[in-house]
Amino acid sequence: MDDYEPGPVPSPRPLDRFGFVKPELNISPDGLIKGRSACEYEREERRVRKWRKMIGAGGSDWKHYVRRKPHVVRRRIRKGIPDCLRGLVWQLISGSRDLLLMNPGVYEQLVIYETSASELDIIRDISRTFPSHVFFQQRHGPGQRSLYNVLKAYSVFDRDVGYVQGMGFLAGLLLLYMSEEDAFWLLVALLKGAVHAPMEGLYLAFSFVPLPIFVTEVGDGYFRWRWQKWVGLPLVQQYLFQFDHLVREHLPKLGEHFTQEMINPSMYASQWFITVFSYSFPFHLALRIWDVFLYEGVKIVFKVGLALLKYCADDLVKLPFEKLIHALRNFPKDAMDPDTLLPMAYSIKVSKRLEEMKQEYENKNGKTAESAECNEKQKQA
Amino acid sequence: MATTGNKNINSKLVLLGDVGAGKSSLVLRFVKGQFIEFQESTIGAAFFSQTLAVNDATVKFEIWDTAGQERYHSLAPMYYRGAAAAIIVYDISNQASFERAKKWVQELQSQGNPNMVMALAGNKADLVDTRKVAAEANATGFVLQLTCLQEEAQQYAQENGLFFMETSAKTAANVNEIFHEIAKRLPRVQPQNPSGMVLMDRPAERVASASCCS
Ligand SMILES: Nc1nc2c(ncn2[C@@H]2O[C@H](COP(=O)(O)OP(=O)(O)O)[C@@H](O)[C@H]2O)c(=O)[nH]1
Ligand SMILES: [Mg+2]
Repeated sequence: MDDYEPGPVPSPRPLDRFGFVKPELNISPDGLIKGRSACEYEREERRVRKWRKMIGAGGSDWKHYVRRKPHVVRRRIRKGIPDCLRGLVWQLISGSRDLLLMNPGVYEQLVIYETSASELDIIRDISRTFPSHVFFQQRHGPGQRSLYNVLKAYSVFDRDVGYVQGMGFLAGLLLLYMSEEDAFWLLVALLKGAVHAPMEGLYLAFSFVPLPIFVTEVGDGYFRWRWQKWVGLPLVQQYLFQFDHLVREHLPKLGEHFTQEMINPSMYASQWFITVFSYSFPFHLALRIWDVFLYEGVKIVFKVGLALLKYCADDLVKLPFEKLIHALRNFPKDAMDPDTLLPMAYSIKVSKRLEEMKQEYENKNGKTAESAECNEKQKQA
Repeated sequence: MATTGNKNINSKLVLLGDVGAGKSSLVLRFVKGQFIEFQESTIGAAFFSQTLAVNDATVKFEIWDTAGQERYHSLAPMYYRGAAAAIIVYDISNQASFERAKKWVQELQSQGNPNMVMALAGNKADLVDTRKVAAEANATGFVLQLTCLQEEAQQYAQENGLFFMETSAKTAANVNEIFHEIAKRLPRVQPQNPSGMVLMDRPAERVASASCCS
């Protein structure tokens, strides 16, 4: 097992069960090591046994099982992957294990022999990523070094994306459950799209947007587009566009209130998408979201976002701008309970509308450079 | 500057500047009086508010702290459009962050609210004092370099109609002062603008109609 188990690092302050230094006042009950009843303990044991059977030794039975019973797998994942198997299962469901096996030695090469233009940027952020977690607290300690290596390797592996603030939280979360090399390939699987649509657009500097006013006729009924405009973090923009519409459709009253108070999703939801809830969100909830995210894809981020708003809607519609912004970044504890929030999230259907709104967004804003280039030739008058 | 009329002014303020220059630390110091050595990096943007009494008026700052990385640039206009004030922050020990600050000033001059009150903050001023002692002993060029940057910044600010201060979020030096100075410089009379929220209009409209990329 690659699971990282926090060693007995001396720390003057008490830690929660995930290794975060406990905030002095507001202690989350879910973060604490609770005295479990014998009954609960046994149930957990049974659950782990079931999971082990499903996975097989080192993941050997996994693919077979998923093919035969995808719905059982989905149901179990939605209930939460046992923490002791999380690291391994994440690698299996994300497709990163396959990438690792197909690319022996590549990670080492990237870490040791390559240099990256982003090295300084990465270093600047290292001690500012999960600064309250023991593993990442120690200056130049193993946590910070691993984080640096993974981020540097990725910035070399994918020079278009390089390093972008926010990636550190993804990598940091992964490193708490797996080795550097495994975390690296999982990052690759996500951003390059091993199983689901690639998410590198979350971090890309730009994609081109055609400006119709620059279209000029070049003869024979052909037009030349001029790619003048670009949009940073194109996928974030698209997700925010989609999320805005979903809020209005699912929670019209709240949507109306947001309009009146001039709140738009980029003020509160950009980090949900950029870090998949791993930034300033309760860790136990983030993990449960990641379980589902890696298996079912990004739509869970929309669902959880909507569920949060739905849960708090009655309060939110009463708040003026400033209180509203505050509330949207500090949801109450009961809203953050995975066993309340996630079932609510699962019940919200978004897939079809997401697809439609993606089309709408693309029509409105033009496609990415590649698909747009094909357009050019077809664009006959 | 007229100081009659509105006694309560709401003013949107945005912090811009390179990654790690100390934007979040400055806000944290101003709003909560704290300094955290390892301040978590800002993803997206964060909102704060703080009220100041200046002469006969109270100014309530609605502050947007932004992410500094170049890549996040496309999210920034939404926060600076319609802002009444901006603090452009650089790190006095980092020449590149000063260059970045100048780019922000240019962008605000061409895209921002033309009446915007702009402050240039050379942050981490405490580093001068620490290094000065060392430098006097071994005569490295460090202090010289910092002094040059200070003069350059001063001159740049003058030429571009900003006011300049060296600040330290760590020691709190000049932090309240810079916000105070901004508050004093804000136009006092905001005709047909009773709520103060009108300043938010433009960005919100843009976002509602175009979502981005206009
Ligand atoms: N010595 C010193 N360090 C500072 C000061 N302000 C911020 N820092 C440090 O610089 C780093 C970046 O600060 P932060 O506020 O996150 O910068 P931001 O990226 O511009 O928001 C943090 O480690 C801070 O502790 C200062 O005035 N003096
Ligand atoms: Mg910051």
